Amino acid sequence: MLRDITLGQYYPVDSVIHRLDPRVKIIAVFTWLVLIFFIRDFTGYIFVTAVLAVVTAVSRVPVRFMARGMRPILFILLFTFVINLITYPGTVLARLGPVTITDTGLQQAVFIAIRLILLIFGTSLLTYTTKPVGLTDGFEAILSPLSRIGVPSHEIAMMMSIALRFIPTLLSEADKTMKAQQARGADFESGGLIHRARSMMPLLIPLFVNAFRMAADLAMAMEARCYHGGKGRTRLHPMKFAARDYAACALLILFAVLVIVQSRGLLPIPQIWKL
Amino acid sequence: MKIEVQHLSCIYNRGTAGEVRALDDISFTIESGSFTGIIGHTGSGKSTLVQHLNGLMKPFSGKVLLGDTDIGASGVHMAEIRRRVGLVFQYPEYQLFEETVAEDIAFGPKNMGLDEQEQEDRVREAMATVGLDYAEFASRSPFELSGGQKRRVAIAGVIAMRPDVLILDEPAAGLDPAAHREMLRMISRFHQERGCTILLVSHNMDDVAEYCGQVLVMDQGKLLYSGTPREVFAHREELEAIGLGLPAGAELLHLMNQRGAEPGGKGALTDAEAAAAVLEWLGKQETC
Repeated sequence: MLRDITLGQYYPVDSVIHRLDPRVKIIAVFTWLVLIFFIRDFTGYIFVTAVLAVVTAVSRVPVRFMARGMRPILFILLFTFVINLITYPGTVLARLGPVTITDTGLQQAVFIAIRLILLIFGTSLLTYTTKPVGLTDGFEAILSPLSRIGVPSHEIAMMMSIALRFIPTLLSEADKTMKAQQARGADFESGGLIHRARSMMPLLIPLFVNAFRMAADLAMAMEARCYHGGKGRTRLHPMKFAARDYAACALLILFAVLVIVQSRGLLPIPQIWKL
Repeated sequence: MKIEVQHLSCIYNRGTAGEVRALDDISFTIESGSFTGIIGHTGSGKSTLVQHLNGLMKPFSGKVLLGDTDIGASGVHMAEIRRRVGLVFQYPEYQLFEETVAEDIAFGPKNMGLDEQEQEDRVREAMATVGLDYAEFASRSPFELSGGQKRRVAIAGVIAMRPDVLILDEPAAGLDPAAHREMLRMISRFHQERGCTILLVSHNMDDVAEYCGQVLVMDQGKLLYSGTPREVFAHREELEAIGLGLPAGAELLHLMNQRGAEPGGKGALTDAEAAAAVLEWLGKQETC
């Protein structure tokens, strides 16, 4: 069950996307996040989805694998969809007691759902194709100008990399603890909400205790290797821009311009189902 | 309770780049009331195998028969299977969670739906089995105990369900030599007194030679050998090739033979058997 959580994991294949400089990928993802919010109609969605599909195909991360990562957030997706569906005023399409579904509501619900899916697919592509070390180095490099005004960029990056590093560890720990408690007859799946929440205790308490234990061990191990923060640290793999990184930047700028121009209705193509 | 495993296979991360064949067409039988050892180096599939035996993992293909019950069949009552096959994981002390030792041990019996009196009886019995004094430990927090004591509490938590089969995944890992010996003696005592079928996953060849009537050797998801310790440890070179070895006693006799001394004692495995063989040889030397 917990093995199914693929969100935030690295998917080890070799592709152009995997080899891109992490800084480019991080900036691309942030640009992507902002651009998605510019879109006001379905033509825009079709365009960005096509681009995402191409990038995904190039990255060689199987869509099935990515879709599996969506499963944990399915509930949130469904929840926002339903809330949007029933809370907007407009022309009534259907009525069920006090609940009404309006045309704006339907449109809004579909819109937000697509937006969420695109946001998550886009960002997860970053973690699927970038090793945690690359991610951290990238973030540190991007944040480093801020260290002049007192932002502890190295420390933030290090905390991030440790957090990412421990996701699979904690997952496997949770999996193990869950099995051990199941072996003693624990039942995590049936019963009402309260009962279920209570039945999580045998899982959560050992997990917390172990997380603190691992944190203490890690701190000790880092100190034993003379870790003292970012000052004067050098890199094993200095990041360098290659030709493909410049090309990716150019494509990114082109993509951003296209999305913005399209969302303002400045392109000679119709805007389908405009909000 | 008899366990029969037929052509069991298991694949992790199917269809992705990280696909692993953790178990590959494994078949064996474990007789009721026997003491069986499972050896193999890290990652050979031992832990995956034992998780199939109490239904925590479902067979990808093949069958696991517990007595007459096929535990992969639909309609099988999983809670009952897990009660009958007690599984003690590696480092079980990390799974303690209750406020007191007694409550933690009672977790299994409670999940079985036993009444409070029965729960307490089970806790007392299990604590006695693992050698923890009820008056002293029952109301203490499991988190303030020593590592060895915590482990005994965790094992008591499984024993309290009165399983017919007890599987222990490296129960002595990380214990000091005295606690290690005590742990194995405790398991052996439990085996003799209750007639419980025991499966011991171990890295320690000496323990396997001393306590087990049957040994299964795993390598890369396959069952390499199965037989009595004497049969299995006859494959010295093959075992060394997969990162295992001989019990210390057998290794000593092997080295002596290699250097030209011939104490005989063919088939001796444990320290005691080796010592006897060497003494006999020395006696012979002195007489002639």
